[in-house]
Amino acid sequence: MPTPSAARIHEFEVVSNTPVAEGIWSLVMRAPKLAEGLSSGQFMSIAVPGDATQLVRVPLSFSKADPVKGTVETEYAVVGDGTRRLSLMRPGDTSDVLGPGGHGWRLESHPRRVLLVAGGIGITPIVSAARWLAREGVEFDAIVGTKTVNTLWGFDELMSVGVQHVVITSDDGTAGDQGFTTDALEPALAGGEYDLVLTCGPEVMMHKVADICAAVGVACEVSMERMMTCGFGACATCVVPTRSGNVGACMGGPVFDAKEVVW
Amino acid sequence: MSAPNMAVDLGGIKMHNPINTAAGTYGFGWQFEGFYDVSQLGAITTKGCAAEAWPGNPKPRMCEVTSGVMNSVGLMNPGVRGLVEQSGEYLQGLSDKGCAVICQVAGHSVDEYVAAVELFEELAPFAAGLEINISCPNIAAGGCAMGSTPDGAAEVIRALRPRTDRPLLVKMAPARVVEVAKALEAEGADALSVINSIPAMSIDVHTRRSRLSRPTGGLSGPCLHNIAVRMVWEVAHAVDIPVNGVGGVMSGADAAEFILAGATSVSVGMSNLVRPDSAPRILSELVSWVEEQGVDDVNDLIGAFEC
Ligand SMILES: Cc1cc2nc3c(=O)[nH]c(=O)nc-3n(C[C@H](O)[C@H](O)[C@H](O)COP(=O)(O)OP(=O)(O)OC[C@H]3O[C@@H](n4cnc5c(N)ncnc54)[C@H](O)[C@@H]3O)c2cc1C
Ligand SMILES: Cc1cc2nc3c(=O)[nH]c(=O)nc-3n(C[C@H](O)[C@H](O)[C@H](O)COP(=O)(O)O)c2cc1C
Ligand code: FES
Repeated sequence: MPTPSAARIHEFEVVSNTPVAEGIWSLVMRAPKLAEGLSSGQFMSIAVPGDATQLVRVPLSFSKADPVKGTVETEYAVVGDGTRRLSLMRPGDTSDVLGPGGHGWRLESHPRRVLLVAGGIGITPIVSAARWLAREGVEFDAIVGTKTVNTLWGFDELMSVGVQHVVITSDDGTAGDQGFTTDALEPALAGGEYDLVLTCGPEVMMHKVADICAAVGVACEVSMERMMTCGFGACATCVVPTRSGNVGACMGGPVFDAKEVVW
Repeated sequence: MSAPNMAVDLGGIKMHNPINTAAGTYGFGWQFEGFYDVSQLGAITTKGCAAEAWPGNPKPRMCEVTSGVMNSVGLMNPGVRGLVEQSGEYLQGLSDKGCAVICQVAGHSVDEYVAAVELFEELAPFAAGLEINISCPNIAAGGCAMGSTPDGAAEVIRALRPRTDRPLLVKMAPARVVEVAKALEAEGADALSVINSIPAMSIDVHTRRSRLSRPTGGLSGPCLHNIAVRMVWEVAHAVDIPVNGVGGVMSGADAAEFILAGATSVSVGMSNLVRPDSAPRILSELVSWVEEQGVDDVNDLIGAFEC
């Protein structure tokens, strides 16, 4: 039989849940088995309590899984009712989470130097990628895009795990260079130092990143977002069109080789 | 007291208990093997498959509403050959363990339904029965359009009946259910699945756009359960063939409600997606309910509702 998802249901307890930037919260949960099982770029789906009429889990990436402490950390943007209810969870509150989900960052090309490109809340799996690259001894730099200085998160985390060089871009110029991540990407790739780009952010941004990488012949992996109902391959609500047909983002993704994606 | 008999007969499909799964919410079964042993269910129903693979609709394919979800998957499927190649061995094993495998059949026209049934006949010895989906709200032709009138529904089953000896279930649209059910029984359907998701709409008022990639989608979940119970009750009264109740089953009590209204078996749908281990929990709650009712056979409770 084809391989079923490795996801399982895990009870979790909130360790902390606090705002870290405008509209962005950081949740640390205790879920030891999940913390052991997650690999970078995978995701989890949280059953958020507080409204018995809202049944679908909220899928989230993670920035840090600590198998020693048995904790998982995620940063999430409060954009609607599910994430608003999640922000109301307090230390000691419990619920359950389904994970690990899907296919994480691939690193199949055995890169020498990697460029990370994050747009908005896409920073969450990018910080996880940074931790992983640091553990693997691969050098990396980052471009982090934000709306304004108030919505910026992740700079300190990237610095603490050993990023060499970070470029910040903001829509309004209040942090780093005014403009988009893609404005900074072209000059960054011109030097020919990078053999892999990992990116997560709005789909229009990732599409542009993928095009720029393709034009200069640099491998690129993208972490795609879709409306997910199950998160383990049973419903086909999450598909991404690829060169080999529609592939579920919750099983074949969320990370895809950018060359495979039909935008 | 010894454990009650839970085995039921759904129009020739032998089930060791009344719990089935709803097509499209259960993949091809193996997706759930990491969570529990699927063979403990009485039956599973696989995703609707056509003779050829279908790509389905563009994103977004799902939005959440009050006590339910709407989907516009559009019957994306690998085709009968794809199903058999990817999942055939697993489904044969499941059938060998005593779980009835019901394969759902999709089509845009009578000819396409015929082509798909012929392929299942040729390639799928594991299928205990075929469920004909004449009620998908998410495809332009076939589906709901054919299943919503007695003549349209009858035409499909008339064409298929001579082509298979296997039990034929029909997945009904939530429209004119009594008339359609009678027409289907007259054409030789063996059982009826009542109901498919209800055509529905959800609009993002800020952007004025549909929350799906199409104007409408199919509504599933607890919000439609009591409509489905009423329809199961009406159909069960109108025909002599058995009914499989579908719609918003989240608990053993929801399943019991269908059985009291006249259903022989019950499919778990959306519940599988939000909590992958739902179906065995619902089964064990159903067994407890049968015990609590003091009967030694679940069949004694089918249609045992009193007003
Ligand atoms: C694999 C994956 C990883 C993700 N990781 C993160 C993360 O680390 N941090 C983060 O802030 N967000 C992440 N998201 C997005 C997050 O799941 C949605 O923002 C969240 O579900 C919104 O729920 P809501 O009820 O608050 O908003 P809603 O009111 O439901 O919707 C607000 C917006 O969120 C989007 N959305 C809603 N539900 C989903 C869903 N089930 N899947 C995808 N998008 C949805 C909709 O397009 C809508 O525009 C991820 C999504 C996926 C698929
Ligand atoms: C994501 C999704 C996909 C579905 N696909 C199918 C399908 O392929 N064929 C079908 O007959 N019904 C399909 N349905 C409808 C279900 O089988 C079921 O009839 C409906 O969801 C009501 O049951 P529920 O409330 O328990 O989910 C689908 C439902 C959902 C949520
Ligand atoms: S979310 Fe159900 S298949 Fe991906």
